[in-house]
Amino acid sequence: MKKENLKEEFYKNGRFKRLPVYDLHGHMGSLAAIHFPFPDTDSMVREMDKSGIRMLVFCHHSALLSPDIGNRANIEAVRRYPERLRAYCGINPNYPEIMEKDLKSFGRYYKDVYVGLKFLSDYHSCAITDARYEKAWDTADGMGLMVLLHTWGNSAFNGPEHIRKVAGEFRNARILLGHSCHGEWDRAIALLKDFPNIYLELCAVLDERGFVEKMVAEAGHERIVFGTDFPWFSYNYYIGAVLGADITDEARTGILSANAERLLSEHISLENA
Amino acid sequence: MKLKFFDANLYVGKPTKAVYKPAVSAEEAIRALDVQGIEKALIWHIAQHDLSPVEGNRLLSGLITGQKRLYGCWTILPPQTGEVITLDFFDRMKKERIAALRAFPDIHRFMLNRVVFGSFLDEAGERKIPLLLSLEKGISWQGVYGLLKDFPDLTCVLCDIGIWGADRYTWPLLENYGNIYLETSLLALGYGQLEATVRKFGAERIIFGSGFPERYPESSICEVLHADISEAARRKIARENMENLIAGIKS
Repeated sequence: MKKENLKEEFYKNGRFKRLPVYDLHGHMGSLAAIHFPFPDTDSMVREMDKSGIRMLVFCHHSALLSPDIGNRANIEAVRRYPERLRAYCGINPNYPEIMEKDLKSFGRYYKDVYVGLKFLSDYHSCAITDARYEKAWDTADGMGLMVLLHTWGNSAFNGPEHIRKVAGEFRNARILLGHSCHGEWDRAIALLKDFPNIYLELCAVLDERGFVEKMVAEAGHERIVFGTDFPWFSYNYYIGAVLGADITDEARTGILSANAERLLSEHISLENA
Repeated sequence: MKLKFFDANLYVGKPTKAVYKPAVSAEEAIRALDVQGIEKALIWHIAQHDLSPVEGNRLLSGLITGQKRLYGCWTILPPQTGEVITLDFFDRMKKERIAALRAFPDIHRFMLNRVVFGSFLDEAGERKIPLLLSLEKGISWQGVYGLLKDFPDLTCVLCDIGIWGADRYTWPLLENYGNIYLETSLLALGYGQLEATVRKFGAERIIFGSGFPERYPESSICEVLHADISEAARRKIARENMENLIAGIKS
């Protein structure tokens, strides 16, 4: 009997039986610029169940955009679904006192809640190379944390040249390039080749045909990870894109699952998470 | 039963800015459809946008001649210049298997309103010829709102509605204009957008489109296949709504 490939399996069932999918770029909660029909924690986890998403690593919109609420939104959500969620501690360098407090208490929540840090520099108008980020980078480097950066081509705050500087300096941090320097694909691939601590993340890459193929062909799939900005974007849509890309099922397995498992396993036991 | 799809948003030809493996002939377009299990498509030629509707329409017509699975879209320009719209325009449309129109007012530098298109779009509206408008290629939301204020009964399919969720733009239009439809190639991108829109306005208002070659057809297909909607709704979105639009065109 012909073995069912990943595309056939997902088309038929809307999930994979033996391939736990990890989403390393998520958010949560409502947002000024977009109507999200289902942005609450319970709805999101229900959708994860439906699409076979084993774990979502996210940073709540409140932690990134409302210092009045901050990271407690992350903590509450992970405490509610400890087997399915982990968070990036949101870092806003415009509020050094809050940042310092969050970094000081990071150890208390490490593993149970946090597996890394999230920088949203374009939105915070502060370059990732700015001195105000230094304590956060030191923490990430010291603990070997995942750092999810919002990155974009030609950005004044988190473009390829900024990344090159921090990747060379903080070599123990696992730096995930959210959106893979969108638009400057060649420079994102060059970063991946030049630094073993760099990972390309696919949110906002997958809605344009052809770039995953380019990344895999030029740099291999082993440090490319799946992310969706969930609840911004749909799992069906983004998994469909990975299935539509002109790459092998082995590469798809790495991107959707194995590469993230390797990263997360440095911090948590996925069997007991 | 396997779901059958009718793709309302696919272009052929090589764009000025290269994209990954476009279909440049009818045979390649049909091959792309076959890979996805898509039965039929309403296609346009990227030269209509990048070069000129005059040349692009001609290329498109030549390409779909004799292709029973393909319907065509022509791109319009202001009737006053006579470049595209002539006295026998609607007759030529029928003869050349053109089932819908497109317009790119911001890129082709004209106003898509009653001053410019008065009697032409009145007639297109009476004939129930769909006008496809791409929010990513040549019209703004302000442009769409202005057009519909002038032509409230026009049949319009809003395509490529943007990467960021657009409910705040689209839902008021669906509420106020009965002949507005949304195409899925980016509607399906937002988590829950398709389901929420179906619940509020019905599956009749949504039309499947892949966005090929710029987007992966598998993306929209997977969302239509697995969205939390009824099987009847799935069939309407995948194929029936577009078929009904074409069947409803008055010659």
